[in-house]
This record gives sequence, structure tokens and C-alpha cells, in this order.
Amino acid sequence: MMINDKNSQKIVDIIQNYARKHSLWILAYGTGCGAIEIPPTMTSRYDAERLGVRGAATPRQADVLLITGYLTTKTLKRVIRVYEQMQDPKYVIGFGSCTINGGMYWDSYNTIKALDRYLPVDVFINGCMPRPEAVLAGFAKLQELIQAGKADGARKYKENLEWYRANQKKVIPNWRMPEYNW
Amino acid sequence: MEEIKSTIIQRIKTHFSDATEKEYPYNRVDFSVKKETIPAILFYLKDEMGFKHLSHISCIDWLEENEFEVVFIVWSPTDKIKVFVHTRVDRENPVMDNVDMIWRQANTYEREMREMFGIQFTGLEAPEEFLLEDWEGPPPMRRDFDTEAYATNTYWERPGREDAKDIRETIEKRSGEILPDFAKKYTR
Amino acid sequence: MQEILQYTWGALVSFVVAFTVGITYMGLNRKITARVQNRIGPPWYQNFFDVLKLGSKETSIHHGVMQHMGPAFIMVTAVMSLLIIPILNDNRFFPNLNFHGDLVFLLYIMVFGPLGMALGAGQTGNPNSAIGVTRGLSQMVGFEIPWVMALVALMIQYKTTSIVDLMNLQAETGRWLMFTSPFAFLAAVLAMLGMFRYAPFDIVGAPQELASGPMSENGGKYLFVMMSAGSVFAFAKLTLYVDLFMGGANNLIILVVKTFILYLIPMLYGIVSPRYRTEQAIRYFWGWPSLFGLLAILQAVFL
Repeated sequence: MMINDKNSQKIVDIIQNYARKHSLWILAYGTGCGAIEIPPTMTSRYDAERLGVRGAATPRQADVLLITGYLTTKTLKRVIRVYEQMQDPKYVIGFGSCTINGGMYWDSYNTIKALDRYLPVDVFINGCMPRPEAVLAGFAKLQELIQAGKADGARKYKENLEWYRANQKKVIPNWRMPEYNW
Repeated sequence: MEEIKSTIIQRIKTHFSDATEKEYPYNRVDFSVKKETIPAILFYLKDEMGFKHLSHISCIDWLEENEFEVVFIVWSPTDKIKVFVHTRVDRENPVMDNVDMIWRQANTYEREMREMFGIQFTGLEAPEEFLLEDWEGPPPMRRDFDTEAYATNTYWERPGREDAKDIRETIEKRSGEILPDFAKKYTR
Repeated sequence: MQEILQYTWGALVSFVVAFTVGITYMGLNRKITARVQNRIGPPWYQNFFDVLKLGSKETSIHHGVMQHMGPAFIMVTAVMSLLIIPILNDNRFFPNLNFHGDLVFLLYIMVFGPLGMALGAGQTGNPNSAIGVTRGLSQMVGFEIPWVMALVALMIQYKTTSIVDLMNLQAETGRWLMFTSPFAFLAAVLAMLGMFRYAPFDIVGAPQELASGPMSENGGKYLFVMMSAGSVFAFAKLTLYVDLFMGGANNLIILVVKTFILYLIPMLYGIVSPRYRTEQAIRYFWGWPSLFGLLAILQAVFL
């Protein structure tokens, strides 16, 4: 059996996905009100560390980016920078109705309404705000996707970079951002 | 309390002839002055009468009267009385005197008002941008700024949320949950 | 030829053992911390998943050569000290590279890793890294004093600089050094609290204040190397303590039991402690631990 054989790559993928699934380091970028749902999720009441979910301090170390609520255009700029600093494989979880369709900020002059136009989102968690149970269900869903190899938001982002960039530049007129070469 | 309030009104009215007072219950007194008097009356309130604390500076857009109303709220920690100082600024040419030499924190409020309402404060030293970044439209808190149209034009909206149907009865039928009577009064 | 093969094989085996045991200890640390905090906590093998995931992450960060070298320095330090420290009493399965004077060499080599890491962290240009490095090196100055004092006391008292000699001495007399030179043991154990960088001495890599300090720019494979090196180094340090003060171990099971008992000290002390600032940590180490170190030297010289 060759090392670069397709079948052996499959076995490696299964092992790697199993490890990734059980070790999700989250970067809780505290946007909006959803950040307040993270402490109960992580501490002794709901204890997300059972699932291997654990906080990471910097984007370099993180696997999952949590967008916890509405995003103003000003914050979106920072979130894009954070997302592009993260290392592959990386996943995005969108919290609450604000990231899905704008939620209660649907007619605000400076909040975006659909997060997946600007960043590839793997899992949306519905609710305003989602309870910690819903957050844990979202993590379980993400684990399922990772195990099946379907959580490929980062690949989607790389392949359709022009589309995402065009959308991002539409709401961020002065695009003064460093170019990352991943 | 009442004596203190009447002394305050007396002193202000003797010093500033254009001040008209309006009395509120409890510990609140309101004055309306011309916009040129604002720095003088605030100086007087702070230095002579012990209103050391600037609680807030607020702005109201009176679109129909073509004027902005700027409200300064000051608080006296010794007398436990708050004084509201109202003034009116022309909406077409909104220029006001800068008061951040009296209270340093007024700078922040003035920057916010400059950004959100477009009121220019003469001699305000601050960077142009405050809360909004790369904002190119008109000041967004003015009432003639159509927020909804701007949001619809700028941000993509996921289809599906525009039909705001009343689905409470459907839910009632499906889940057997009984809605209270008062809830049926309110419809979309 | 036979000897070289044997040495290589022994090095490999001891590395694998140290890695497995060290990672398991860290997993147990997380589990026990969770139980103390009234949580269920991750399974004890959680850190194996973490290491595997970190190793399988792609890495595309480049800040310069020294950044790549930083984690390698730590790994080199960990493996080197592991090879010098005798793991079991009779070196049949783990033929280690002991020589006379290895205690002095060990004192040097244990500082080498953090210094290399400091160089690597300095090149990332992240301000958090620079602050973390400053704090880490200051704290190292703190705990190195009682640690060196304890080892010097041992060297003076037993007139040897070889770990194997000390182990043989304990085996012959049947008395552990933690009873014959208790002050040195106390000073060394208190210095160990700082060496492991658990709370209250975890200001170096505090995630909330410094964004994990020196490794804030290192993710993926760098962190993989650092985590493996940390677990190997933890096992090496614990084995050194067992060798020096607790009479070594005759087989692996006894070694694991003894090292785990030692490991419980920094772990449990850390769970119930808040975080010290750097100057508080240094004041701590230059207080009682240094006094114990001084007493140990006095005992070694005059008794």
C-alpha cells in the first residue's frame, strides 16, 4: 500500500476527523449579546469541555470562530481579519437570528443581515439568544459535519474568494486590510 | 428642596435674562436659553452653584420646526438637584459653542452629536471619526434619513422574512397551546 | 555497533513512555480540575485528541527562522534532559546517557529551553509574546534560586554530581534523601510549583491577560511540538525528583505511582489558587523556598 494511496488517505482522514471532532478550540469573539451565553456553556452548569470544546486565546490556535450575535460593519472588518488569521481547518458558527436574517436589527443602518454572504458559516444556531442547550446542540451538529467531512467552509471561502470579497467590499467601502496568503 | 429650587430659579433668572424656567416635581428644574448663553450658564452653574457633574448631553431632532434641541443635564451632588438646560439650534446651519473646557467628558458627547446629527461645535478638537467607520451617507440619527431604505439598499436581506403573518392561531391548533385572551387583542 | 543500536532503541522507548505518561498526566489534570470545579470534565485521554488535532492542522505562519526554532529548542531540551535522567534504578531497558557531573549539566540544560523559546517568541513581533517572555524569564529567576540551592546542597552533602551515584546511595542505605536532607527536598518541591507554571504561577501564559503569552502567535504544529515537549519535560522533571529524593523506582508501575503523587502537589496547589503577579511570584520564591534552600546548604556543610 502506497503512502499517497487514495485508500490510505481515507483512513488518515477518518482518524484526523475523529481527532478534530473531539477537540474544538473556540475563539469566542464577543460580538453582540450572545457572548453572555458562552460562560454558562463553558462552566459547570453545562460544561462544554465534556465534548472537547475549550477556549483558545488567539486566532492562531483556534479552530472554531463563534459569531455571537449581530455584526456591525465596523466589527465585520475585525471579524474578517480574525477569520483570515486562523489556520486550516477552521469552522464558523453563527449564533442567533441576527446572523441568519438580521433579527431585531433588520432595519439598522450599520448591521449586516446575513452572515454567510461575508464569511462561510458551517452551522447556524437559531434563537434570540440561543440557550446553552441549543449551543451544545450546535456543537454536536458541527461534530457530525466534521466526522462526515462536510464542514468545508474554509475550502468554500478559498474557492469563491472573489464573491466573498466583493460582498465584503460592498459594505466596507474603505478596504484597508492586509492581504493574507494563508 | 423647594427653597433650594426657588433660589436656583431666582439666581439664574437674575443673571441670565433670556432664561425661561419650567418646574418639574421632585428634584428637577428645566431652563431654556438661547444657544449663545450656553457656555456662560454652564460655567455659572458649575463654578458658582455647585453643579459639578455633567450627566448627559442629548439632542432631539424637531424636523417639523426645522430645529435641533440640545439638552445639557447637570447634577449637584450637594443639593441633590438636577438641572436641564435646553437650547435650540437651527437645523440648516447647526453650529454651537464647544463646552469641553468646562467638563472634559463633554468632548465625547459632542463628537457623538457631530457624527449622529451633524451639529458642528466650534473649536472642537477631535478626530473626525468616532463610532461610525467609513460613513459616507448623511448623519444617521437625523429624522429625514431613511434608515430602512438605506439598510435595504446596502445590506442583502435573506428572502422569507418579509411576510410577517400572524401564525399564532396555527401554532395554537397544532400544539394545543391555549393563548390567553389579552394576547388576541394585539395583531400585527 | 550493538551498543549504539541499544542506546537508540532505549532513547526511543523512553521518549514514547515519557510522551504517553506526560500527556495522560495533563489529561488527568484537566479531569481533576473539572471535578474540583463541580464539572464532569473531559475524558482523561482528551489531550491525545488535542495533540493529534494540532499535529494535523495546516500551518502557514512565517515570522522568521527563529520562530520555527523556538519550539524545536523546547523539544531538544525536553529530550536531552529525558536522556540524561535515569528512568529506572537498573538501566537495562532504558540505557541512558549518564555521566559524572550530569547534575550540573542538567541545571544548565533546563534553562536552555525557555531561553530558546524566548528568542522564538521575540521574533513573532506580537506584543503579548514580548510581555509573556519578560514575565516568564523573571519568574524563572525566582524559582531557579531555591532549585539551585537544593541541588548544590545535595552535591555538597553527598560529595557527588552524578544522579546515578545518588540513586545508588539511596539503594545501599535504604533511606530516601527526602528524609536525610529534608530542607533540600522542601526547597526543590516549592521550586517545582514554579517550574510547572500551573496556577498561581501561570501569569506567563495567562490566556485572559496575555492571550497565552509566548505562544500567542504559534498555532497548529508549533503548539503540537510545544505540547509534546511539555509533556515529555514534565515526565522528565518528575522522574528527576523521584530519582533524587524518593529513591528512584525499580519498575515502571512504581515510577508512575511516585511521579503521580509528586505531580499532585503542583496540580492541587494550582486548582485552589488564584494567580500571582510576577513580583508576587518572585517574592514568594525568594521567601520560604530560598530559606529552606539556605538551611539545606547549612545542613550539608555543618552536619
